[in-house]
Amino acid sequence: MRMITLAMQNVKSSFQNYLAVILSMSFTILILLNFQNVVHSDIFDGLGGANAEYIGVLIQVISVVLCCFMFFFLWYAENVFLTKRKKEMGVYVFMGLTNQNIGMLFLIETVLNGVFALLLGIVSGIVTTHLFQMILLAVSDIAVEISFRFSPAPILITAGIYSVMYLLFAVKGYISIVRSSVLDMVSASRKKEAVIQNRFLLLLKTVFGLGILSVGYYMAVKEGGQEVMGNVLAAVVLVIIGIYLLFGGALPALLLGLAKQKRILYRHERNLWVNQLIFQMKKNYRTYAMTCVLLLCSVTALATGFAMKSRYAGMVHFRNTYTFQFLSNQKELDRVVRPLIEQDNSIAYASEISVLTLDASLFETRFTYGNYALLPWSQVKALAEGVGLEFDFAPPEDDEILKASHMYMLSLITDHSAERVVIDGKTYRQTADTNVPYLGYFQELMSFYIVNDAEYERLLPYGQEWHAYNYRIADLEQLAASADKLKAAVSHTKENDTAMAVVDPESSDIAWIKVLYTICIFMFLVFVLAGGSIVFMKLYNDALEEKERYQILRKIGVSEKTLKKSIVCELFMMYAMPFSVMLPSAYFSVHALEKMMDTNLMPIYAGSVGVILAILLLFYWRSVSAYVKHTGVEEAGRSFCK
Amino acid sequence: MNGKTVVKIKNLMKQYGTGGTLTTVLKGVSLEICAGDFIAVMGPSGSGKTTLLNLLSTIDRPTQGSVIVDGRDVAKLSNKELSKLRRDTIGFVFQDYNLLDTMTLQDNIALPLSLNGVSSGICMEKTMELGRMFGLSEHFSKYPWQLSGGQKQRGAVCRALITEPKILFADEPTGALDSRSTRELLECLKRVNDSGQATILMVTHDAYSASYAKDVWLLNDGQMQCRLSAGASRREFYDRIADMQTSVGGDVPCA
Repeated sequence: MRMITLAMQNVKSSFQNYLAVILSMSFTILILLNFQNVVHSDIFDGLGGANAEYIGVLIQVISVVLCCFMFFFLWYAENVFLTKRKKEMGVYVFMGLTNQNIGMLFLIETVLNGVFALLLGIVSGIVTTHLFQMILLAVSDIAVEISFRFSPAPILITAGIYSVMYLLFAVKGYISIVRSSVLDMVSASRKKEAVIQNRFLLLLKTVFGLGILSVGYYMAVKEGGQEVMGNVLAAVVLVIIGIYLLFGGALPALLLGLAKQKRILYRHERNLWVNQLIFQMKKNYRTYAMTCVLLLCSVTALATGFAMKSRYAGMVHFRNTYTFQFLSNQKELDRVVRPLIEQDNSIAYASEISVLTLDASLFETRFTYGNYALLPWSQVKALAEGVGLEFDFAPPEDDEILKASHMYMLSLITDHSAERVVIDGKTYRQTADTNVPYLGYFQELMSFYIVNDAEYERLLPYGQEWHAYNYRIADLEQLAASADKLKAAVSHTKENDTAMAVVDPESSDIAWIKVLYTICIFMFLVFVLAGGSIVFMKLYNDALEEKERYQILRKIGVSEKTLKKSIVCELFMMYAMPFSVMLPSAYFSVHALEKMMDTNLMPIYAGSVGVILAILLLFYWRSVSAYVKHTGVEEAGRSFCK
Repeated sequence: MNGKTVVKIKNLMKQYGTGGTLTTVLKGVSLEICAGDFIAVMGPSGSGKTTLLNLLSTIDRPTQGSVIVDGRDVAKLSNKELSKLRRDTIGFVFQDYNLLDTMTLQDNIALPLSLNGVSSGICMEKTMELGRMFGLSEHFSKYPWQLSGGQKQRGAVCRALITEPKILFADEPTGALDSRSTRELLECLKRVNDSGQATILMVTHDAYSASYAKDVWLLNDGQMQCRLSAGASRREFYDRIADMQTSVGGDVPCA
């Protein structure tokens, strides 16, 4: 029989065993293809500005993340293929096949499975691209016409990336087989996967794991300045290492401790599933740790998405505080501007304030800005009262200062205490940093500080005083009608230096953030589904391997009901462990995001945990029925009913 | 026969296949096992030993005839009742031990009892008692792959006995053991039988193993051909069993 024929027969006969792995691989191809298609389509070109460029970069970044995910996933899939095949290799050894022959057989089989997954992924990817784009735009609340067009580039790129990775692992498997000793292949029995674990090593892993995880949590929420970025990166690395050590040390140690307590262990089915869990944890702790990290990523992705959305809404609201804004050296500009606006619009509210611009060289601040300006406390208070904005700051002392900044998408500076501002050699203690839009859009263009009136007066000779006039019209739809007429007020002569800003609420220069929000939701789902399917796949394969064990249990008279109960408990723990370890880690991750994005994300944390729980329960439910079926528990039960 | 009837089969017949492929494995076997018995069923390959054991242990159902276990006709029992009967009344020992390799020896032995919902204190107590009786206490924390064949099989017997079954079915329990382990195991079985702790039905093709039993039945071509009872010494019993095996091969009736 030719090698290819034998390989095809093997693939055919074990297709059911590999189905879960093949479907999961196809799913990763489908996702990557959809993202690549968005990159190569022109759906976001219509958004104008830098939006299309930003979204392109964003989707490329996500594609890189997906590629990394695909890399680990294929690594895992190849290990599944290899482990399963190694158990059959002993037979081939006795049939007289060389290691090279067996390796080649494995390679052909793996490639056949890979090609099938690729075709399935590409076809389903093509079918779903239109739907994916529609969902992406709908959730992003972006109205763009899309047509069903498909260029070959995304297919070629996706197939290329997948094929390179897949072949890499297939060849790795081939080399592993060729280098295996005949004895290894013949005795690839379970006793090699010894349950016994070095207690000292477990203890060491536990101590280090808990320690590293605690440091990781601390780093994530530690307030600070520019070092926050470094802290966050360190936290990510530490938490991942901590989780791996926890799954490799603390949890097995806990289970082994439980197995030692016979009074607890010998209660109903516990003896069965706790021992099985110890065995599985020893064998698969990396898989469960990876699932936990994926779940953690999913909560973080969703929290990021919602934080982005919230900040986007805040930024749009902030910017739209006023419709027309003027900065002028004229004290009576309102007399000119107001009638012009009122010709076509009614003014909802307006404000006026003195602004003292100072040369940047006079300032010493933590970050250097291009334009600095001071506002007198009493005028800001009056403006806030007039416009209806919140203002609950007491007048600053002579050495105190308030910052009126704008809304940021994300701030890495989480510690604003002990902030100092030096103006012309005098140090002021910054007592607050507010992002209430007293001067609306102007606050995005200039760095405003509020000082008491006396200090303002004292500093007048150091800069130039301007007057800001801000108007919000009642009907934003009528903005264009006044905008053209108001241009007459703009002047750049020495006597009359007046600049104008028109804030168009329809402006979409930050629309890319909405796409980011959608992508975050999408990534949330991808991560949860990936985490769930990895555990599902693992259990699916375990079920096939554990068939013999359940046959033994049936033989010694253990009832179907008891076995099912044991399976229910065992599988529950398989899903519960990654989920439980994820909970505190995700809490700290979301809390860190809360600080950086100044948004309350705890409801999102609770919601995402709820969604993950629901999805994992679905996977769990499916796993239990598949496990019961594939271990032959149900089948055996039926055969007794004859 | 020295006690209450535990298992009784009458005119048992088992056929496999249909039409032209119909094979009759058992052709009207009748026997009675009483409390305290230690019976060895011998016979050449294909004689129907395993089929008989499967029917006695309620894993399979007969084509014809009846199997009464502990006074209950298995044909009239529901699947759930059968499960319960197997769990509470019958103990099994197999040739290939069938210990679970993810558990220590102690956990393996305790398993059937703990699954029955017996309190953990009693589970531990009984495990210790059986461990002492079978010389396994010092190996309790070991996993099956760390034990010798004999230790594993003694462990399997402990596991079968922990629920105090009315009858213990042993299918070629010494088939995979060396002579020393075989002797150790058989002596253990004989000891528990003599002390009244177990009624045993052992299927074997080995005359030496069968000589430890009180009665030996010979199954040939689906029928119970003859029966021998132990005499004054085991050596003498062994010789008679060996003679019987030879005579069956030559179609000579039992002595």
